[in-house]
Amino acid sequence: MKRSDWAIRATGLSKKFSMDLRQSMLYGLKDSLQRLTTRQTSTGTLRQGEFWALKDVSFELARGESLGIMGVNGSGKTTLLRILTGVFPPDAGEVSLQGRVGSLIAAGAGFAPMLTGRENIYVNGSLMGMTKKEIDDRLKAILEFSGVGAFVDCPAKHYSSGMLVRLGFAVAAMSEPDILLVDEVLAVGDLNFQKKCYDYLHRLKAKGTSIILVSHSIGAVWAICDQGLFLHQGEVKRFGSVEDVIRAYDDQNAVLLQPASQSHEVRAGHADQLSRQNSAGPTAGTGDAYIKNVRVCSLAGDDTARDALEFHESFALEADLEVLTKLDEPIFRFTIDAAHYRFIASVDSYEQNFRLDELKPGRYCLRVEVPDQNLMPGAYTVNVNVCKKGFGNHLFIWNGAARFQVKTPQHRLLYSEPNAVMFLEAKFRLR
Amino acid sequence: MMSAFNKAAEQPGILPIVTYSAANTRVTIGSSLTQAVTEIWATREVIWRLFVRDFTQQFRQKLLGYLWMVIGPMVNAAGFVFLYVAGILKPGDMVIPYPVFVLFGTYLWGMMTGVLTVVSGSLHAQGELITRTNIPKIALALTGMGNFAFALATNLVVLLGIMIYIGFPPSWLVLLFPLLMVPLMALGVGLGLILAVIGVMARDMTTLATAAFNLLMLVTPVVYVGKVDSPALQRLMEYNPLSYLIDVPRTLVMTGVLPHPLAYAATSALAIVMLVLGVYAFYVIQDKVAERL
Repeated sequence: MKRSDWAIRATGLSKKFSMDLRQSMLYGLKDSLQRLTTRQTSTGTLRQGEFWALKDVSFELARGESLGIMGVNGSGKTTLLRILTGVFPPDAGEVSLQGRVGSLIAAGAGFAPMLTGRENIYVNGSLMGMTKKEIDDRLKAILEFSGVGAFVDCPAKHYSSGMLVRLGFAVAAMSEPDILLVDEVLAVGDLNFQKKCYDYLHRLKAKGTSIILVSHSIGAVWAICDQGLFLHQGEVKRFGSVEDVIRAYDDQNAVLLQPASQSHEVRAGHADQLSRQNSAGPTAGTGDAYIKNVRVCSLAGDDTARDALEFHESFALEADLEVLTKLDEPIFRFTIDAAHYRFIASVDSYEQNFRLDELKPGRYCLRVEVPDQNLMPGAYTVNVNVCKKGFGNHLFIWNGAARFQVKTPQHRLLYSEPNAVMFLEAKFRLR
Repeated sequence: MMSAFNKAAEQPGILPIVTYSAANTRVTIGSSLTQAVTEIWATREVIWRLFVRDFTQQFRQKLLGYLWMVIGPMVNAAGFVFLYVAGILKPGDMVIPYPVFVLFGTYLWGMMTGVLTVVSGSLHAQGELITRTNIPKIALALTGMGNFAFALATNLVVLLGIMIYIGFPPSWLVLLFPLLMVPLMALGVGLGLILAVIGVMARDMTTLATAAFNLLMLVTPVVYVGKVDSPALQRLMEYNPLSYLIDVPRTLVMTGVLPHPLAYAATSALAIVMLVLGVYAFYVIQDKVAERL
């Protein structure tokens, strides 16, 4: 790209930290001494007790384009933003930013409680690189935006935390930078203020400001950004169009999420010393029947066990069943847990009109086909029960018998509600 | 690491570029000095704002407000004047009255240690700004000095007032006093800058230094004349550069006589070297600060 075309260029950015404070102190002193004497230190390699908070991050952002940096906690987002702000020097690689840089990390920096709102605006504004004249010119806009209004000459310590945040955001926003670094702050303030912030960011964007938004809110990133950067354990997992990156991030989350059943105790039943071929979860029962080895298979493909299904893909659940004593009117039930909710679906042989009078001892393969599923992308857990009509409890229960993931669809962007577990095919109309 | 806080030569159409890189830009003594001057100049407005902020903040919500600037040193001085008037302090046959001698001595000593404490604690005090903005650290390290300089000036006025009240007005050489402060301040700032960056890594460094200076005060003629009985102690005092930096300005201002001109010139040069080394060390190490705050 020509000089005028890019806003940010990062190549091989890395940053390392020490695991423990004492070691960090010792390394720091050692490095300092080394630099004072020989004028060089090896920053590019890890020493004992250090880890890469950011490793070999490269990307280029065109001027006027906005970038969403996504990743779970601890993935390196904030470290990257701090390098871009100029707070942390990188340990390897380099990054260039073209244009005036504003950072919402600095929103409200330097606010003093005893000073009035007006005085604080000048302090904070000058910290953001504005001259007195620039602040004078924008004072009215800042006050209007923040909604501090009549309290402008009150000491800031009487402000609510919301007012302080709004004031800080207003100063940062009005500095009209070429690149604006935003760190999660959109989550604060009341709804009306949030809307104002989004509107303002869009206005800045329309004027050609590149907005770098760090967030784990898919909605926020999708609302603002054109490009996405997905960080995982300090490395770039994906860099590309925001929709691609949201999909990748969503898929990764599904894998990382602990299914809800893992965090709950198995309810009733005495512990069973069943030998488990598949020791995925706790089992309990009366000893009349066992289920081993529950599999999730795709109906579309070759019918082999799968750990991930496509969105809307039909599937079958298979289980190896061993009956030890004759069962009268047995009932088989599969239930499904989502990441945050238990029992979001139940497939019960009695409900599905699969009725047996009795089942003799022996080994069986139990299979249930689900031709139409509308699970949202995410991680799911299968539990299995063997019951009997006329017996109020289960004969056998295995929570967490199998796990599968529903993948993010390629043809559709599902951003609206990360907690939703079901997708309803629907038609919108406006009359 | 290049400084980002250049309100870059903003030509229309051409945007300033900042680069942060790991490539070790070699810091030399010369480059650190130029960078310090450039950065302080570029951030003069920020430094001023922060000074005004801290200054106002300090006196708000206080009954006597700005009067406190004078009350502190007055009370301090009153103690010594009381001892003198009550006859508890025996000035003896000193040329300078003892209370004035002590006041001037502690004033000069306090100037040096005070500036050392302010500068060495500055990065901690401004930690929030270091982790949230890219204001050059040298500017933040020096903002605290504004307040301190103000306190020094008011204290000096009070001190001179007391001298006149006692009937011992200073010589006209008092006009040279700002110049005589330079070596002491340079020493304080130089050491302070080194302690500031090291102190962020090893938090007890400043405490250690303060303790060392308390001991050093015993072998410096601050509260007593430079004549002691023990020959070993006497020699220590003679080799102690601080002896000259404290005693020479005091004697000069009060009596108009310049003792030990050579030793004073040498120690003053040493103090300036300390300042230069301090700036250099500060720039060499400052990269390590933000992540350890």
